[in-house]
Amino acid sequence: MLLIGCVALIAGCGSLGLWLAHRIKLRPVELRGCLMALALLDTEIVWGATPLPEAFGIVKERTDRPWQGYFAELQERLQRGESASIAWKETILTQKNNFCLKEEDWQVIGDVGKGLGRSDSREQHKQLELVQRQIALMKDQAGLWSDKQAKMWSYLGFLCGIAGVLILI
Amino acid sequence: MSLHYTLSVIKGPKVTIPIPKRKFSEAEESTSSPDKSPVLWTDMARWFGEDIRSIIDNIKGVPFQDVEEIRLRVGQPLMVRTSDQDLFLNRDGEVTSPEKAYFAIPEDLACALERMTHSSLYAAEEDLKQGFITLPGGNRVGVTGEAVVVQGKIQTLKHVSGLNVRIAREIKGQGLKILPLLIGTDGRFCHTLLISPPRAGKTTLLRDLIRLLSNGVPKIGLNGQTVGVVDERGELAGMWQGVPTYNLGYRTDVLDGCPKASGMNMIVRSMAPQVVAMDELGHTDDVTAIMDALRTGVRILSTAHASSLEEALNRPTLARLMEQRVFERLVVLSRKHGPGTIEGVYDLKTGRVL
Repeated sequence: MLLIGCVALIAGCGSLGLWLAHRIKLRPVELRGCLMALALLDTEIVWGATPLPEAFGIVKERTDRPWQGYFAELQERLQRGESASIAWKETILTQKNNFCLKEEDWQVIGDVGKGLGRSDSREQHKQLELVQRQIALMKDQAGLWSDKQAKMWSYLGFLCGIAGVLILI
Repeated sequence: MSLHYTLSVIKGPKVTIPIPKRKFSEAEESTSSPDKSPVLWTDMARWFGEDIRSIIDNIKGVPFQDVEEIRLRVGQPLMVRTSDQDLFLNRDGEVTSPEKAYFAIPEDLACALERMTHSSLYAAEEDLKQGFITLPGGNRVGVTGEAVVVQGKIQTLKHVSGLNVRIAREIKGQGLKILPLLIGTDGRFCHTLLISPPRAGKTTLLRDLIRLLSNGVPKIGLNGQTVGVVDERGELAGMWQGVPTYNLGYRTDVLDGCPKASGMNMIVRSMAPQVVAMDELGHTDDVTAIMDALRTGVRILSTAHASSLEEALNRPTLARLMEQRVFERLVVLSRKHGPGTIEGVYDLKTGRVL
């Protein structure tokens, strides 16, 4: 019985650690997804002069989850008649929980909404490019950080489990 | 040439597309059934911000079918224009005197413009430079404001001060009255120019003529002809994401959003039309392109702003076309007995009134 308890505690703490490590590893992946989505949006705006609801529809088709859900909600909101900046801000609030991104990431992503659709394509390109550059920087930093953190959490979970067992015994 | 011009072909009746069929019938009904008015008003209201939307939603006693324009001017009363009078609306959507009407504020116009462009000002960039945007369904919205000029060329409009929503109409059968006069002795369609002052039904008549030419009229022995439409302002076909709102006939190809001058060359080369139709000639480039298209053997059908032949001759671009005797028929329209009143059809070769 004691043995089963020990194994359960170690396994429980270990899987919690692995789950946290997995979430940490997802951050750079999601930032990369965001970069790709913004690049697609940029292309649609600059080369296609595609109106935003349609452009969001195209980006939605070409990105993976969770960005797919994000752009699907944006498209729906715009089709309902919401303005792009409000829709972008509101969508961040409702979709945040589906992502593993940090608050600082959302601040940069939130900047996209500020001038979205309100100027000519050249200005739009400039704004999107600026945000893309910032996200690319964050992605590189997040890559290094997440490797270390993920490794730490995957060990730490099991170690905490073992420590708990030792204390309890 | 930009890549975003969409080359769209109106498909024949065998191809089943649910959306256009529904839309065609809506457009047809819109001119006939008065009980549709609240639905049509609600449909129009979605293009405006909260305040104006609630006013339009509550409009009573103004049938949508009678309305030609909805005008918003900063600091001026909200106005709806029918064929014979100007109606001012108050906050409750009731017709009132100008002093008691709802006065539009800059936010109303900014919000309307944002909704009309789907929050995508960049997509309407080229249109805005010419002072208008086109809504899905072919309704055109005139825009005035402060022009931003760089090196003598208009870049865009800012601080929008006026919006004029012009409601597009589809009245069928009007063209049938004059079409026999536009057919030459050899049975071919003559090069035709429709002229009128604004709001006299040029575009409506042009749309009707395109559909008749495209489908053919067996009654007068006219076979269906391939018609290429260069729809620079997106008004003729009311194209929305490649799907036309208006029925322009079985044999019509529409080049949407493309400048007339380059569009004419494109459509002649790519779709081999027998008739090329376009709206509102006025630019010198259009004239050069028409002269070029004439050498390919296509027939030209177009419209221009002018209230009489004399006025048309005073416009340098049109005068050049007249001098070269490009057009064989001239149709003059007016609003004498309501929009679309045909003042006369002239044979420009002989100068006779037909």
